[in-house]
Amino acid sequence: MTQPIAHSAVSVRGVTQVFTVDGQTTVALAPTDLEVPPGQFVALVGPSGCGKSTLLSLVAGLRLPTGGALLCNGEPISGPMPQRIGMIFQEANLLPWLTATENVAFPLKLRGVPKRERLEAARRMLELTGLGDFADRLPHQLSGGMKQRVSIGRGLVQDPGVLLLDEPFAALDEQTRMVLGDEVLKIWSSTGKTVLFVTHNLSEAVYLADRIIVFSARPGRIVDDVPVDLPRPRTFSMMSSERFGALKDRIWAHIRDADH
Amino acid sequence: MLRTPAQVRAAQLSLAVAILLAWELLPRLGVIPKLFVPSLSEALGALVEYRAEYLAHLPATVVEILVSYAIACGGGVTLGMLIASSPRARRMALPVLRSAYAVPMVVLYPVMMVWFGLGMGSKVGFATIFAFVPTLLTTVAGVASLSPNLLETARAFGASRWQRILYVQVPASLPTLVAALRLGGALVIVGVTVAEMLGAVEGLGFLITRHRTLLNSPGVYGGIILVLVITSSHEVLLRRLELRVARFREA
Repeated sequence: MTQPIAHSAVSVRGVTQVFTVDGQTTVALAPTDLEVPPGQFVALVGPSGCGKSTLLSLVAGLRLPTGGALLCNGEPISGPMPQRIGMIFQEANLLPWLTATENVAFPLKLRGVPKRERLEAARRMLELTGLGDFADRLPHQLSGGMKQRVSIGRGLVQDPGVLLLDEPFAALDEQTRMVLGDEVLKIWSSTGKTVLFVTHNLSEAVYLADRIIVFSARPGRIVDDVPVDLPRPRTFSMMSSERFGALKDRIWAHIRDADH
Repeated sequence: MLRTPAQVRAAQLSLAVAILLAWELLPRLGVIPKLFVPSLSEALGALVEYRAEYLAHLPATVVEILVSYAIACGGGVTLGMLIASSPRARRMALPVLRSAYAVPMVVLYPVMMVWFGLGMGSKVGFATIFAFVPTLLTTVAGVASLSPNLLETARAFGASRWQRILYVQVPASLPTLVAALRLGGALVIVGVTVAEMLGAVEGLGFLITRHRTLLNSPGVYGGIILVLVITSSHEVLLRRLELRVARFREA
């Protein structure tokens, strides 16, 4: 009798975040609503301190909102849900004493997956992220881009439906950033995961996303919700197209206004 | 000068030789009275002459050091790890412990003698309270200097509090644990030796004091040499440990 209800992969309903430090209250996030359907690639952009990273850490369950509710596939997020939500940080944050494989396998270790099984899964992930030949290297033997590939593998190893990326390429050079962006797109299109991607880079946002959420400066709130109607697969040459430029201009107008 | 490792080693070696030579020559030439500092050869001679006595008293000192080391360093590091892992525990415990650190523990030795008697118990008790708090505080400081990113990442991947301590905090702070052990171990050795000198029936400290009472300076320095051998062995072991945990440093 009951119809299956189509849930959003991520629902943000009236979520606010207020920080109190030494009696000083800061509203990091004004009441915010956002529904992300399954499989959508969403970029979150906005000026520094606009609460976009705060929102991401709320979705990751790393902190609880001051008000409102967050849901993943219709279930409330009350703490980290590592099997459903994978997180990739700005810094690779690898454990320096573990090899690339062991780092990727770390979330499985926390869940008590047997060693052989988890290392096998980790090796498959490293193949997927193009690091098959570096499986036994320690983090300090890897370049910045390679470390971030390991971190992407770690985010994917439990096959979560939702992937959160918090300025994942901000510390990398332009070339590596482009290559890794393409890798993320490839993985996304072959797995159909829902992606929330925080970035400062407007070209990156337009190039990667289906939809761009623009935040205002503090108190952070959503000021625009921009559908990106560029065809897929995205190509490098699209970046010089008129449509690409028009989308970037529309977003830039918000951010420029917000900064003054 | 001091460019290559070989040059550095040569310089270190010549400094050591110079100190030993000065120790031998200054008393011999009468620059320093022999009662204050007997020459190196005399001290070594005393070591050989009284070897049976030293060997009989060495085990007591070594056992006291090992037991105090286990309690003070083991306990200090473990408790330090636990306190460091919780901001609430840090706020609660650190002010008290810092005040405890400022107390000159040696005033408690008479109390230890009343509680534990003249034997090993009072030495272990004193060396333990002497070394415990500094070891704990060094451990906490080491953990506090870690970047919170790794712990946050582990949390995002579902690590429980214990998993975060065991899989992230402890390994990440291994290099700083060496620093805690270096300090704690040195204080344990000082604590045991001082306690033996203040009131004991056996041990190297007891021998040193007895020789001093008899104005037998070479005998005093023989004991001092043995204590130095113990501290150097401790340092050598820690260097090895340091090399082993080098890869746990944050990249």
